[in-house]
Amino acid sequence: MEKSNSFYQLKLILIYALKELKKNYKKISSIIFTLFISLFILSVILTIEDSLKKELNDNAKELLGGDLEIDYNRNQGNLDLINQVKEFTTISTMIEFSTMFSTTNRKKNKSLFTRIKTVDEKYPLYGKVIYEPADAYERMQREPKTILINESLSKTLDIKINEIVKIQDQQFTVIGKIKSVPDVSGFVAFGDWVLTGKQTLEILKLNGIGSFLNYEYKVKFNKDDNPEIIEKKIKNIFKDDQKVKIRYPENSASGLKRIIGNFSQFLSLVSISAMLIAGIGIANTLLSFINQNNMSIAVRKALGFFSGDIKKLYYFQLFILLFIITVFAYSSSLFIVPLADKYLSSNFGLNINFSFSFFNFFKIFLVGLLVLVIFAIPTISSIDQVKASSLFRNVFQNLKFYYSKKLIAISIIMLSILILTFTYGSENLNYSLGYFGAFFICLIIFFLVSKLIIFSFKKLRLSSNISLKVSIKNITQTKSITPITIMSLGLGVTLLLTLALVGTNFKREIAKSIPDIAPDYFFVGIQKEEKKKFEEGVLSMDPGAKIEIVPMVSSGIVKINGVNPDSYIKPDNDSYWVIESERRSSWTKKVPEDNLIVDGEWWDLSRPNRLQISLDAKVAKDFNIYLGDIFTLNIYGREIEGEIVNFRQVDYRDLNINFAMLFNPDFAINMPHEYLATAKFERLDQFDEIKMLKIFPSLSMIKIADYLNKVTNVLNKVFIAVTIISAVTIVIGLIVISSAIIVQGKVREYQNLVFKILGFSKKEIILSSLIEFIIIFKSVIIIAVFFGIIGSKFIIEDIFELFWEFDLKVLFYLGFSVGLVTLVLILFTNIKYLNPKVYPLIRNQ
Amino acid sequence: MVSRQIIIILIIKLLFMSTLLKLKKVNLKYQTGKDNISVLKNINLTTKKKETISIVGESGSGKTSLIMLIGGLERPTSGKIFFQDEEITKLTEDEVSKIRKKNIGIIFQSFYLIPNYTALENVALILELNKFKNSEKQAKSLLDRFGLKHRFNNLPSQLSGGEQQRVAIARAIAMKPELILADEPTGNLDTENSNMISKILFRYVKEEGSSLIMVTHDLKLANRSTRKIKIKDGKIK
Repeated sequence: MEKSNSFYQLKLILIYALKELKKNYKKISSIIFTLFISLFILSVILTIEDSLKKELNDNAKELLGGDLEIDYNRNQGNLDLINQVKEFTTISTMIEFSTMFSTTNRKKNKSLFTRIKTVDEKYPLYGKVIYEPADAYERMQREPKTILINESLSKTLDIKINEIVKIQDQQFTVIGKIKSVPDVSGFVAFGDWVLTGKQTLEILKLNGIGSFLNYEYKVKFNKDDNPEIIEKKIKNIFKDDQKVKIRYPENSASGLKRIIGNFSQFLSLVSISAMLIAGIGIANTLLSFINQNNMSIAVRKALGFFSGDIKKLYYFQLFILLFIITVFAYSSSLFIVPLADKYLSSNFGLNINFSFSFFNFFKIFLVGLLVLVIFAIPTISSIDQVKASSLFRNVFQNLKFYYSKKLIAISIIMLSILILTFTYGSENLNYSLGYFGAFFICLIIFFLVSKLIIFSFKKLRLSSNISLKVSIKNITQTKSITPITIMSLGLGVTLLLTLALVGTNFKREIAKSIPDIAPDYFFVGIQKEEKKKFEEGVLSMDPGAKIEIVPMVSSGIVKINGVNPDSYIKPDNDSYWVIESERRSSWTKKVPEDNLIVDGEWWDLSRPNRLQISLDAKVAKDFNIYLGDIFTLNIYGREIEGEIVNFRQVDYRDLNINFAMLFNPDFAINMPHEYLATAKFERLDQFDEIKMLKIFPSLSMIKIADYLNKVTNVLNKVFIAVTIISAVTIVIGLIVISSAIIVQGKVREYQNLVFKILGFSKKEIILSSLIEFIIIFKSVIIIAVFFGIIGSKFIIEDIFELFWEFDLKVLFYLGFSVGLVTLVLILFTNIKYLNPKVYPLIRNQ
Repeated sequence: MVSRQIIIILIIKLLFMSTLLKLKKVNLKYQTGKDNISVLKNINLTTKKKETISIVGESGSGKTSLIMLIGGLERPTSGKIFFQDEEITKLTEDEVSKIRKKNIGIIFQSFYLIPNYTALENVALILELNKFKNSEKQAKSLLDRFGLKHRFNNLPSQLSGGEQQRVAIARAIAMKPELILADEPTGNLDTENSNMISKILFRYVKEEGSSLIMVTHDLKLANRSTRKIKIKDGKIK
């Protein structure tokens, strides 16, 4: 009986919830809008991230180019061992290198430092190469001195099919264009590259360091073989070879996965900010909605409804609303996938498809539900404050957010689940947790500021100015909404300023010209005997050119304090690149000008026979290295032990010669080495790359401007994503700000009506609103600027690893614009309350 | 003989009492949807200073609308309204507000106190608006006079209906206005409170020499006024 009663009651509440929702959906349109936008962003991010990861996992073998990859880096490797593997598998040999690529037969020929990928007839072992015209790929394998170029290179140098080009000093014919290759994981995903047959290698002059050579052997297992047994067998064959690295499909595209993971983590965090800010807006709008229904709640209570039933009625409405919005938001996000696919396939050769994921739908619904419930709890609980007796007194107080100990505990539990949902499985747990920490610290600080403002203005007894008095009274009055206004406005403005500062810093990085101290060119691969000739060659074209030449040797870190670093340093370590493959190192007598020593001493000249190493301080920190630690380096096949004697502050972004490791010259001078040079020209137009290539065919010339262009292109794409998501968050922030005003709308309307009856002029009423805004905004902006600076500095420097610059002008301009927009928005939202019509109000209409 | 003398004195007094308010051919119409509702039709009314007038009539006859027009809270559709010989229908909203804040006090059936202001703040507000020095002291003395000494710091929601109306009256008379407009001031109150409020109002009008125009259904209260006006279907009968 009891059961059927409660079922009947629930059914009744559900029916009324649907009825009420049908009637009230226009009044809560801002809840619907903010909830939809924030859930839509979240859906888009999750759907695209999921589709991308699915694509990478499904095509792991294609992306790697085989069932496994044997990587010898700069050396051809042990061919005996490779041949042993060949006996029970199929192997495709691939050699990648970078060298100069030039146009011919033009008035002004152009050249470009380009990546060349040479493949054998077995390539690709998995997947397809897509190219045009139809027989181009087969011709490339068959005919010597033929190449295929990618779309980007074709556009950069404006090269047509059948055009004759030069790689180093050798002529080749471009016989086709590559649309995509399957094994993009280890290959350059963007930029300019060439595909050619393995015979090309024999024609060109390549050197280990300058050509950035890379030998890879892709392995395909026979159909009937057990992959696990074959993997073990191969591992066993290479067990004593320290130079080899074996990669598996599950590790393929790890770099790409990391980029996707990092970027989607950043976007997810911004989207959860949007969600949380939207939550404040929802709480505000809901409170205003309940305030409007104050009398009907009182009537229901007078009729005998329990407070709990009325609260259930509101929760049901929210639940139904959330379900409908989640369905719409998630479905709409699926339509974004084809757009993303178009972009990804043209830029990265990746194809993504949309597919419904119940897990993602549930996650989005759960996040929406948690945010909604966390912010609805204090609002809907305020229904307890409505007294049926108000009907007799005809006095309806504005309701206030209500928290009891139990409600606070429930909110904290829900918040923890929300944070867990976002941090669990995220690329960088510390960033996510730090972000949530910062978000709530901001919230608490803004709350404390609001309390401080109320406290200090309460103590203040001043002025005969009535508008000032009214505004101070509005701020300090009992049940004032100043705290919620300051918190909503504060968080909105903080996020807005942070994203705007991130955006402007991005923009500056994109628009920035090459740093003044940066050279115009990098020259790689200058042989010992060519050094003098090289200098003469450059100076003959521009006698005012400033050339810096440093020796360069290739070395790999085999052990750190006797332990293989691969065994404990993971690929997610920021400095993993230092141990990933062989690095170029140099030596110098004096401390480089822009590489200050932060710890230790420069070379100990009394020990010339001992290898001393100067290490990048960041690498030392990331690897937990101390002064006196021992590195075992592999230099041209010889293992040499060196002691870490000092740490240097290295900033690779100044585009000058920077090395992670420097050696003491007394010891290093005897190592076989090449030279690396930079040149800054007085008259750049006098420098002729083509002429230089004629003298030094194997020389690699990297023009800084070209390199920066490539970086700029990538940054531009990131900037677009940041701008879009910032714009959406800003819109949500503004809705929240106006919702905070709407909360007090009814009270303000009533108050202004009484003021009008008492004889206040319109000017006095508007002025009091203005003064109130100025008092609140002034305190909000100071703190928001502070948080905005810290937040944007962290994002720009630590996440995107770019230069962050403090720009007072931009900050002032942004602060002023934000203030102005907010003020206009406040006045616009307030306008109907500033000059209320007396008749309808007095008549209770 | 005595009564004749009194009548003559009264007539002379009335003749010499200057005009406070004059309404000339005033009409008020409201548009609701497509319908045009005529609320007040061709109202002509003149009141003298220190006069007490009761407006009676059925619900929806236009009593409250008339009070709102007189208080400058609404503009007539046509016609003219003069307050102390100044045509307020010609003035801007702010200029009317200026007249109202100094010369007109309004009392409502539903009190219209500011819910977040204490009793003291509600009364002090009008004094502060008129730049009175010691506004709080004066507000306190007014509330004290109406027996609300113990209620200075209470919010309206913490006061009884009678107490709220006494605060509203204190606020309305704080500026010692020439004219007090009251819209069913005892409409929401019990008999005891009604008697108290009417006593307070009439005593104040007599002591301070203000005029009172009051809308009421209460015939006993209406009979205490010097003049009674009946409105029916928007017209003065």
